[in-house]
Amino acid sequence: MRSQAMFFQRRAGEALADPQLQKNFTGLRDKFVGMRARAVNAYERDFDELRDAGQAIRDRVLDNLDVWLELFEEKATQRGATVLWAKDGREICEQVVAIAQQHGAKKVIKSKSMLSEEAQLNVALTAAGIEPVETDLGEYILQLSGNEPPSHILAPAAHKNLDEVADLFAEKHGKPRKTEIPALTREAREALREHFLSADMGLSGGNFLIAETGSVALVTNEGNGRMVTTLPKVHVVITGIEKIVPTLEDFATLMRLLPRSATGQDISNYVSVCTGTKGADDSDGPEHTYFILVDNGRAGLVGSEFQPMLRCIRCGACMNHCPVYQSIGGHAYGWVYPGPMGSVLTSLYTGLENSLDLPHAATLCNQCGVVCPVRIPLPELLRKLREKQTERGLRPWSERLALSMWAWIAQRPGLYALATKIGVRYLNWLAGGADRIEVLGLAPGWTAGRDFPAPQGRTFKELYKQGQEKKT
Amino acid sequence: MKVALFVTCLVDLMRPSVGFAALRLLEAAGCEVVVPESQTCCGQPAFNSGDRRAAIALAQKTIAEFEGFDYLVAPSGSCPDQIRTEYPGLFLDDPDWRRRAEALAARTCELTQFLADVLKVSSVPGEFDGNVTYHDSCTGLRSLGIKRQPRQLLDKVRGLSVKEMPEAESCCGFGGTFAVKFGDISAAIAERKCVNLQAAAADAVVGGDLGCLINIEGKLRRMGDETTRVLHVAEVLAGTNGKLV
Ligand code: SF4
Repeated sequence: MRSQAMFFQRRAGEALADPQLQKNFTGLRDKFVGMRARAVNAYERDFDELRDAGQAIRDRVLDNLDVWLELFEEKATQRGATVLWAKDGREICEQVVAIAQQHGAKKVIKSKSMLSEEAQLNVALTAAGIEPVETDLGEYILQLSGNEPPSHILAPAAHKNLDEVADLFAEKHGKPRKTEIPALTREAREALREHFLSADMGLSGGNFLIAETGSVALVTNEGNGRMVTTLPKVHVVITGIEKIVPTLEDFATLMRLLPRSATGQDISNYVSVCTGTKGADDSDGPEHTYFILVDNGRAGLVGSEFQPMLRCIRCGACMNHCPVYQSIGGHAYGWVYPGPMGSVLTSLYTGLENSLDLPHAATLCNQCGVVCPVRIPLPELLRKLREKQTERGLRPWSERLALSMWAWIAQRPGLYALATKIGVRYLNWLAGGADRIEVLGLAPGWTAGRDFPAPQGRTFKELYKQGQEKKT
Repeated sequence: MKVALFVTCLVDLMRPSVGFAALRLLEAAGCEVVVPESQTCCGQPAFNSGDRRAAIALAQKTIAEFEGFDYLVAPSGSCPDQIRTEYPGLFLDDPDWRRRAEALAARTCELTQFLADVLKVSSVPGEFDGNVTYHDSCTGLRSLGIKRQPRQLLDKVRGLSVKEMPEAESCCGFGGTFAVKFGDISAAIAERKCVNLQAAAADAVVGGDLGCLINIEGKLRRMGDETTRVLHVAEVLAGTNGKLV
C-alpha cells in the first residue's frame, strides 16, 4: 500500500469534523478500553509479570533472529511445507501469483493478513486474473465497500457502524435490508460459504510462527481462519520474519497476553496451530503449504535502537488507549498500521520523509506504553524518530529556527529574563485586560479550538527579585 | 535541609503565584529554600522536539545550577521527569557528566511527592471552602508514580473535599508543542477531559502541571464554562481558596 501519511493533518481534521465517525469512535473506545481493563483485573496473577515474560520471549528471539528463522525453516520443511523468503511487497505479490498459477487457482480465500495490505496483494491478484475474497467479516465489509483500507488492526471496519453495514449489504447482496447483527452476519456467512467451497487456494497471515515445530498459529474470533487453512488444497501463509517464537510453551505464554490485551478475552474463540501438509491419517488439511516470510523493512531494525518495535504482537491495545487515535481513528495515519505502533512502523517502513507528522502526532502521554503487552516503549521510539528527523534536516526551517533561537536564549539567563519579561507583557497586551486571549497569532492552532489564559502579568523572576530587594 | 526550587519556565511566564505557593509550602515544612537566579528551562521542549543538542546544553546548565543542593523540587511532574528519567541518558558517552546527571536525578522531586513522601508533612497551610476534582497529569502519573501524594495532601486542607472525575488519568491533550502543531486534535482531546471533569461538579479542577491546566482552562472557557476554577495543587495547598494572601 502506498503511504498517504503525508496527508495526516488534513485527514485528521476531516475525521474530527465528521459527527458520525466521532460517534462510532466513542463507542469503540469505551468498548476496547473497558474490556481490556476487566480482563487484566480478573487475571489471577500479576499481569505486569506476564508482560515481563512476554517481553523476554520476544527479545530472546530478536537477539538471534537468524538462528530461529533457520530452525523454523528446517522444521517446517520437514513437515512438508515450502518456505519462501520475500524482500518486499513486490516479491510477496510475485510469489503468491506464481503459486496460484502453478496450482491453477482462480479464486483465493483470505483470512486477515496485514502483510497482504502492506503488499497490496489484492490488486496484484486481480491484475493476474485471480479473484481474492476476504473472509474476515471486517475485511469482507471493506472489500465490498470498494476496497477501503482498514482503520484498525483487529477490527478493520471499526470506523463503520451498524447502519452503514446494513446499507452496504442491502446494496451489494441485493437482499432485503437487515438491521440485527445476527441477521447481517448470517447473510455474510451465506455469501462467503459459496466462496469457501469453490476456492482453490487459502491465504492467511499468522500471529506466531513456532520454531520448534515449524507451525503457524492463528488467533481469530470468527472461525474463518479454520476454513481458509483447511478447505482449499493449497494454503499460503504470509508473515513478517519477526513473528517467530521459539517453543509451544512460549506461544502459550504469549497467548495469555494477546487476547486479554486485544479484546479483553481470556482466550480467543479460535486458536489454530497449523503444521505442515495433510498427512496420511489426517481427515483434512491442505495438500500444499507455503510460508512466505517477509522482510519489508524488518531486518533493518534488528540490532538498531528501534529493535524493540519488532516485539509487537499486533494486539491493538496501544491504539485503543491512544487519545489521538481515539479522536481521529485509523485512516489519517495513511498506511497499514494506525495509532502509536503505526506511527513508528510507517515511519520506519515507508520512510521518515514520507511521514513527517506521525512521530509528532502524539502527546507522549504513555498510555500506550503502559498497556503494551510486550512493553514496547512507544513514546520513546516516537521521540527517537523526532530526533532522526532533526538529524536529517527534515523539519521545517521555521520550526528549527524557532527552536534553536529559544534554546540559544534559554542558555543565557539575562537575555532569557528580558525575553520573558517582554513576552509576558506582549501576551497581556493581546489579552487587553481580559483574563484570556481568544486569538493568538503566534499559535493559531491553539486558539482555534480553545482560549489561551492570560498570564498573571509579571514573571516569577521579576516578582521574586522585587520581593528579595524589599526584604533587604 | 537546603532545597532549590526549580520554578519551571511555564510558571515563571504564566503563573508566578504557583512558584510563590511552592515556596511557602516548602518553607512551612521547615526547608531552607533557595531559588537559583540563573535557572531557565530544563530542556524538555527541545528533547521532545528531537533537538538532542539543545537538550544536552540545557541539561548541563541545569545540572551545574542545582547540583549543590540537597534537593531540587519543582511544582510540576514533567520537568522533574526530564531530569530524573532523561538527563542521565543524554550523557551516554560522557561518564563525568553522566555521573553528575545521575546524582542530580536522584535528588530531584515533584512538589507533592517531596512534601508527602520525603518530608512526610502532617499539615499544610491551605484552606479551601468547597470541593475539587484532581486531574492526573500523564508524565507525573505514569513516569513518576504521582497519584496518591496530591490527594493525601489535599485531604489535609481545611474545608476541602475531593470528588473524583471519570477518567482522571486520561490525557488532557496538551503534549507541549503538540497542542500547537495539532491544535484541532489537541482541542478535541481537551474537550473530552473537560466533559469528564465537569461531571464531577466540583468548584475547581486541580492539577500538578501548569501545561495541562492552561489547556484545560482555555478549553473550559471556550466551552462557556466560566465558573469551574482551574488551580495548581500548590496554590490550593498553600493559599486560602487557592489564593495566596
Ligand atoms: S505495540 Fe504493543 S500494544 Fe501496540 S499493537 Fe504492538 S504489542 Fe500491542
